[in-house]
Amino acid sequence: MSQTTPALELKNLSVAYGAIRALNDLNLTVDKGEIVTLIGANGAGKSTTLRAISRIVNPSQGQILIDGQDVTRQPPDAIVRMGIAHVPEGRRVLARQTVEDNLFLGAYVRNDNKAAIQGDIHKQYERFPRLRERRTQLAGTLSGGEQQMLAIARALMSRPRILLLDEPSLGLAPLIVREIFSIIRELNREGVTILLVEQNAQLALQTASRGYVLEAGDCTISGPASELARDERVRKAYLG
Amino acid sequence: MTTNLFFQQVANGLAIGSVYAIFALGYTLIFSILGIINFAHGAVFTLGAYFTFTLTGTAFGFNGLLAQQKLPFSLWFPLALLGGALLAGLISVIIERLAFRPLRRRGADSLLTLVSSLGLAVAIVNIIQFLVGAEAYSYPSSALNDILTPFLFLFPDGKVPLALRVPLTEPPIIVRMVQVVIFATSIFILIALTYLINGTKVGKAMRAVAEDATTSSLLGISTDRLIQFTFFLSGFVGGIAGVLVGMSVGITGPYFGIAFGLKGLAVIVLGGLGSIPGAVLGGLVIGLGEALVPAEYIGYKDAVAFAVLFIVLLIRPQGLLGRVFIQKV
Repeated sequence: MSQTTPALELKNLSVAYGAIRALNDLNLTVDKGEIVTLIGANGAGKSTTLRAISRIVNPSQGQILIDGQDVTRQPPDAIVRMGIAHVPEGRRVLARQTVEDNLFLGAYVRNDNKAAIQGDIHKQYERFPRLRERRTQLAGTLSGGEQQMLAIARALMSRPRILLLDEPSLGLAPLIVREIFSIIRELNREGVTILLVEQNAQLALQTASRGYVLEAGDCTISGPASELARDERVRKAYLG
Repeated sequence: MTTNLFFQQVANGLAIGSVYAIFALGYTLIFSILGIINFAHGAVFTLGAYFTFTLTGTAFGFNGLLAQQKLPFSLWFPLALLGGALLAGLISVIIERLAFRPLRRRGADSLLTLVSSLGLAVAIVNIIQFLVGAEAYSYPSSALNDILTPFLFLFPDGKVPLALRVPLTEPPIIVRMVQVVIFATSIFILIALTYLINGTKVGKAMRAVAEDATTSSLLGISTDRLIQFTFFLSGFVGGIAGVLVGMSVGITGPYFGIAFGLKGLAVIVLGGLGSIPGAVLGGLVIGLGEALVPAEYIGYKDAVAFAVLFIVLLIRPQGLLGRVFIQKV
C-alpha cells in the first residue's frame, strides 16, 4: 500500500432510498493516477456510489474524502470545484442546448477568462473531431456514441483531477465502445484519476488496475483487476 | 366596426397585451424551472406598484396602519420604478424561501406548492390592505414626463403630450402616451430577457436547470441559487408590469393583481406552458382579442380571453408554441 493520501476515499459509506438500502458500508480508495472499476449487476449500488460522491444523493452513513478532506456534507457544486467530474449514466447531455453550449456549461464552475475556456473547448474538439462538426447542433440530435463523447468532453471542461464514469459503454456499438475506452485510457495517461462503473466487467477489468465487485449493495470482492479477472466467482457471475 | 375603430382597438390591444405578456413571463420563468405555477406572482405585481408609489414619497390615504404617512424623501419616478421593481424581486425571493423551498426539500407534490403560494398571495394582499387600506392610488402626474426624460427633445415644447394622434385613418387613431411607454418597455424587457436567457452564462445555466436539474448539479450549477435568481427576475419583471398598469389605470387596490393573475394563466396556457415566445404571443392574442370585442358586448370582455383559450386548446392542447411532452415509460 502506498503511504500517500488517496485521491478519493470512501469510508463505511451507506446510502438508503427510503427503506431500501442501496449501498452498505462500502470502503473504497482510489489513488492518484489510478483507474479503479466498480463492477456488479444492475441495482448493485454502483451508480449510487458515484451519485453519493457527487453529492446528488445523501449518504445515510459514512464518509467521503477527497485528498484526505472530508466532503460528506458539501453541496454538489463544491465537489465539482474540488476537481471531481461525473459523467452520468445515460450521458444526460442537455438535449435542448447546442453541443458548444453543453461544453461551455461544463466549465460553469471555472472563473478564469473566456479565452481559456474557448481554448479548452477547442482541445475537446481536437480530441473528439465529431463534436466539432456538430458544434451548432442541439445535443439531442446526436447519436448515442456522439452523446457519450459530448458527456465526457463536457466533464473534462471543468479540468477535473478525478473523473467518475458511469456505464460509458451502455447501449453503444462495439466499435464506438472501443473508441470511448481508448480515450479513457488516454485521459488516464494524461494524469486523470478515474473511477469507472461498468456492467461490461471484462472490458472494465482490462482497463482498470484495481476493481471492486458490488452485490446488492455490499462489496463482496476487491483486488487487482488481473486477479479479479481470474477469480472463479467473478468469472462465473460477470464474465460468463 | 369602422376602420378607424378597428385600428384604435388594435393599438389598445397591443398595449394591454404586452403587459399580459410580461406578466405571464414571470409565470413562465418559474414554470420552466420548477414545473409549478407561482400563484403569488399576482401579489408581487401588486407589490411592485405599491412599492413604487411609496418610493415616490407620496402620502398614503386615510385608511390602514400607515394612513397619511409618507417617506421622508421622494425619488424621481424612474428611480422609484427601479426601486419598486427591485423590492418586488426581493419579495419574490422571500416567497421562494417560504412557500417553495421547504416543500421542495421534502419532495412535496407540486400541488401543495401551488396551494402554499396561493396562501402567501392572500396573506400579502391582506397585509397591503391592513397597511394602506383598500382605496385606489395613482402615481404623481409627473410620472410620464419623468420616464420619458431622455426623449423630451422629440417634443417641440419639451413636454410629453398625453396622447399621440396617428393620422393613418380619418379621424386619426389616438394612442395614449402611457400606452406607448407600456408597449416600448414591454418590448425592451422581452428583448433583454431573451438575450439574458440565450446569450449569457447565467441564462444558459437557467435553461440547463430547467431541462435537467440533476445533471446541472453535476456540472456544479447550484440549483438553489439559480432558482432564487429566477424568482428574483420574475418578481422584478412582474413589479415593472404592475407599475406600468398602475400608470395606465391607477392602482385600483390590494386586489389589483388578482385579475392579472387569472388572465396570466390563460396567457401561458394559450401560448404553451414554459415557452417564452409562447407567453408573448399568448399575451398579445388575448390583449387583441379583448380589445376587439364590440362595444355593445364589452361586459363579456373577460369571457373572451377564456373562450379563445378554450378554442385553441381544443385544436392544440399543448398551446400555440408549446412543446409536446412525451412521457417516457
